[in-house]
Amino acid sequence: MPEGSASLQLAVGDRVVYPNQGVCRVSAIDVKEVAGQKLTFVTMRREEDGAVVMVPQGKVVSIGVRKVATAEDVERIFEFLRSDSDKADLDWKQRARTNLDRMTQGGILGMAEVVKGLQVLSELRPLPTKERELYDNARHLLVMEVAAALGTAEVNAEDAIDIVLFPPGRERPKRTAAEFQRDEDELGLDGDLMGLDGDLDLPPDEEAPAESSEEEAPEEGEEAEAEEGEEAAPKKRGRPPKAKAEAPAGGEAPAPKKRGRPPKPKPEATAAAGGEPPAPKKRGRPPKPKPPEAEGAAPAAPKKRGRPPKAKPPESE
Amino acid sequence: MIRVVTLDSFDDKQLAKLNRTLYTAFGVGSEHSGTADVPAGLSEPLDAEKLVDQVKGIRSYQDDKVLLLTLRKLKERELPSGMAPTQGFARFGKDRAVLSVHPHKDLEAGYKAIARHALHQLGHLWELHHCLDPRCSMYPPWTPSFAQGEPIFCTFCREKSEQKIRLAKS
Repeated sequence: MPEGSASLQLAVGDRVVYPNQGVCRVSAIDVKEVAGQKLTFVTMRREEDGAVVMVPQGKVVSIGVRKVATAEDVERIFEFLRSDSDKADLDWKQRARTNLDRMTQGGILGMAEVVKGLQVLSELRPLPTKERELYDNARHLLVMEVAAALGTAEVNAEDAIDIVLFPPGRERPKRTAAEFQRDEDELGLDGDLMGLDGDLDLPPDEEAPAESSEEEAPEEGEEAEAEEGEEAAPKKRGRPPKAKAEAPAGGEAPAPKKRGRPPKPKPEATAAAGGEPPAPKKRGRPPKPKPPEAEGAAPAAPKKRGRPPKAKPPESE
Repeated sequence: MIRVVTLDSFDDKQLAKLNRTLYTAFGVGSEHSGTADVPAGLSEPLDAEKLVDQVKGIRSYQDDKVLLLTLRKLKERELPSGMAPTQGFARFGKDRAVLSVHPHKDLEAGYKAIARHALHQLGHLWELHHCLDPRCSMYPPWTPSFAQGEPIFCTFCREKSEQKIRLAKS
């Protein structure tokens, strides 16, 4: 018996679940010669569309193939979905990694966790496209497995799941980001320490456009930061400013420390003299210094683009 | 092609209006394709699953989707997690669905809700699952806000249904 297949005995006709593919039926187990080696292959046919996949018997367990869930498992899934959970990972990278693991190795409970987690998250804000696709995929696989486990039609399986997720006669609650932070607060973690600060950490391409107007200012460059420094600093993401050890007693509270490069100190002379503020610095490459020209001289002809004209040969008469 | 088959008598103008809505939502032709009889032995409230399986005398081509329309009430389905309110039923990815106009007396009385239900059941025929967006017709139909919405799909469901229609064999 090859290593790794000890815990999963398959026979022709068994129904199994291939991770991320769905419910398959074992159609053959035979020995084939591949590159001079004799290997036992398990041939599985996906029930949904008849797609065939052959897996070496030694790899069956390691890729996550498992038997179809039982009715008791499905009952546990309903219990899990019924539980009022507001746990959702607000860090999209962490969420994506966790969901990927759940989909490949989590079994039917993993798929239910993905569906529940994304559904809870959608009560806070609409899901981004990738997560909406993941939700649809996870829901499809869950529905197919529940239908196979209960021996019922797919629509009935889906309705059975959704009666739990969307109880009849009740609307889904609207959630706020603060609700999602509650668990972290209970654990004694500061929300700011987690880099959340009441806002979602979204993939860079899926930032909510409404938020961008306020948050674009710090990214515009040093000038913008310097100008903003005197105004009330907007709420920032990331770590909170560290408390200074030697705070002046009775003095003004120090401005919160900003991320990135500190603003350049303003020239004191201008500020002290109360003169006109300097013109805002232009972005981009500074203009080239003009060559010293003699006053009154005619301006140089504009430089022509392209190849310079060939030097004409001296005409001889 | 969507074929609407009536199991009871409906007004032709109202059916034409429903067909226009279905055409707008899916982008495929929709027409009233005659009437059929409720199988003998089925009494009101009708068992939706049996009705879908047993109705005879419907002519359709491959990849056509048939929507059976009735004025009679459908029986609630008993599922492992509870009773499912049933105004319609469709076999996922197959070619037949049934929709009840009940409790409205005709199509016009509750047109929006009925059209939304029709989109929902036909969406299941094109392998759409329930959606998270309350404005989408694939939102679970037993929620209170479902009947108030417009008969439209969200972007995701619309694109998915269009993709399925494009990939149809015929």
